[in-house]
Amino acid sequence: MKDRTDRGLRPTRFRTEDASSNNPIAQPGVMAPDNAAKPLEPEMAPIAAATDGDPKGPRQQHLTPFQESFKRFRRDKKAMISLGVIIFLVLLAIVGPPIYQHIGGSYNSTTNGVIGPDQYHSFGHAEVDRLTEGPSAQYWLGTDGLGRDILARLMQGVLISIAVAVLVEIVDIVLGIIVGVLAGYYGGWIDFLLARFTDIMFAFPGLLFLILISGIMGPWADKNLNHIPIIGANGNARLLLVSLALAFTIWPLMARYVRGQTLQLKQQQYVEAAKTLGSSDFQIILRHIIPNLFSIVVIASTLNISNTIISEAGISFLGLGVQPPGSSIGLMVSEGSQYIRTNLWVAIVPCTMLAIIVLAFSFLGDGVRDSFDPRAKD
Amino acid sequence: MIQFILKRLIGLLFVVIGVTFITFTMGYFAPDDPIKQLLGQHYTQEAYLQLKHAYHLDLPFFQQYYNFLTGLFRLDFGLSFQSKGRAVWDILKDGVPVSVELGLWALVVQLALGIPLGIYSAIKARTWIDTTNMLVMLIIYALPSFVLATFAQIALVSLDTSIPGLNWPVSNWGTPWHYTWTDIQYKLVPILIYGAAGFAYYARLARTSMLEVLSQDYIRTARAKGLFEKAITFRHAFRNALIPLVTVISVSLGFLVSGAFFIEHVFNIPGIAETTLTSVGASDYPVIQATTVVLAIAVVFGNLLSDILYTVVDPRIKSE
Repeated sequence: MKDRTDRGLRPTRFRTEDASSNNPIAQPGVMAPDNAAKPLEPEMAPIAAATDGDPKGPRQQHLTPFQESFKRFRRDKKAMISLGVIIFLVLLAIVGPPIYQHIGGSYNSTTNGVIGPDQYHSFGHAEVDRLTEGPSAQYWLGTDGLGRDILARLMQGVLISIAVAVLVEIVDIVLGIIVGVLAGYYGGWIDFLLARFTDIMFAFPGLLFLILISGIMGPWADKNLNHIPIIGANGNARLLLVSLALAFTIWPLMARYVRGQTLQLKQQQYVEAAKTLGSSDFQIILRHIIPNLFSIVVIASTLNISNTIISEAGISFLGLGVQPPGSSIGLMVSEGSQYIRTNLWVAIVPCTMLAIIVLAFSFLGDGVRDSFDPRAKD
Repeated sequence: MIQFILKRLIGLLFVVIGVTFITFTMGYFAPDDPIKQLLGQHYTQEAYLQLKHAYHLDLPFFQQYYNFLTGLFRLDFGLSFQSKGRAVWDILKDGVPVSVELGLWALVVQLALGIPLGIYSAIKARTWIDTTNMLVMLIIYALPSFVLATFAQIALVSLDTSIPGLNWPVSNWGTPWHYTWTDIQYKLVPILIYGAAGFAYYARLARTSMLEVLSQDYIRTARAKGLFEKAITFRHAFRNALIPLVTVISVSLGFLVSGAFFIEHVFNIPGIAETTLTSVGASDYPVIQATTVVLAIAVVFGNLLSDILYTVVDPRIKSE
């Protein structure tokens, strides 16, 4: 615990040292040797020279808790592969569409005249005579029941999933930390309110709450939020609503975790020491409590992401989320399931994609939990 | 014990009131005017006011909420907007038995398949059986139920096309609580898919729990005194491994409530969740409020049940 408090004060140059690939300590599977008692190893000589003979240098070879956790994480093959898949998907969702819209020649459509790839490779464009086609050079993953490009819609859907996940996690973390820390640190009425509120939210099925909010407020959002650029256009108006409702259902759990951790941290001696030195409550919370919440917040929010993505896809699947000109993976599954008697492909593609995303985030979450849990040791 | 249950019941009453308040407020402040929607093109000012009065929607907020709450105790949920003044209780009476039937069978699937599979996996720990089993369980657990349901429908459709004359139904529900061959055909796949998430959850949990028990000292003692492996597994380990499983009934109830929406939607089953969905689409607030309260009460009593079971199963825990 002692090491964590001075994380902010560590000079930057030692960090670059620790991350250096020449450093035997950074290699997986090797315990950090206690360098204080030993002479420098030969590989360390150039680094030691670079640090200009700082007498405290070798002692800094201990990894920070974060680096130790990261080392554990890098050894987890499933989690690393999942991380790779997720990074690929994020790139696909962000840079995929602009690239895809520049690939291919012009196409003489029966209804739209001569159009370029920037049109027929966009997620909203429909070609009425190219329904439920298999993969081809023009449509890499084929077309759906309305003649729209499945790959383009898939990339847009992944983008929606990730955007909702990020938004929900931000709200979740901010609300969870604020309320959780206040409840844990001060107790009293705020703690009481949090406990009662959490009880109600646990009894209220989260999905039902989402359905109610997006079903009841949805038409209003469609009407009033659709002129907001990007987030409101293309039938995405309800996404903001869905994200906020989703964050609203999950933040009490985060607050409960944070509260528990804060209660423990409050008992720590360094907090007492800080109090004795005259730090204000605000300073203690900011300097000593919140930085130490790092691992629990990271674990809880990573484990949450796949649930968030499933919920958004589920709401869109039920027809209450993203509306038809727009695209979401859940919406694609629901549209595809209408064609399973004639064309399985349209349903299989989004189902598989959703499965990949959800599994990747679950494995990542498990890996993060195993390696960032403070109780986890090598 | 009775004191504990009473205390919990009073706490639960507050939770139920909180849930009804949230639902009621949402319905009250909803931007859509259901009466206007109901009248459609027959809208006149006079008819509008009349209908509003008939549904007691012209009363002030707290008066309406009070009526709603007192109605709950008389099992009077008011009248549905959409089905032309049909009592909500009547609609619930159609949906609830179907949902309860679906849920109970899914619970049976979860427990009767999940626990033995997990125990078996624990006995075969660290063999290929265990590894593949747990990987499959993890995948089933992680996949959203509507993806599983869609995959199941895809499989059924391709079965139907590849075996002519099979005609296995892809959606819909047979007669509630009747089990002829046709009914079973209708019910089998939805129940299996509905139970899948909880089934995988129980299997994983049962494995962990069993492994923990198997590493205890008294199991080693039992082995040392030369007991048969079967006797160790079933008489000594199995019963103790069940304790943590009992407590997660509330978790599996959570799976059932949220899973219901997707399963009933995908397989077109006329249960309470599907009723909620159609009512949400039609802004039929009395029905929505009623179904929400029913679902919330189900969850709350599930939690209470698991707490009680916890104290019953594990004598170390006293109910103070």
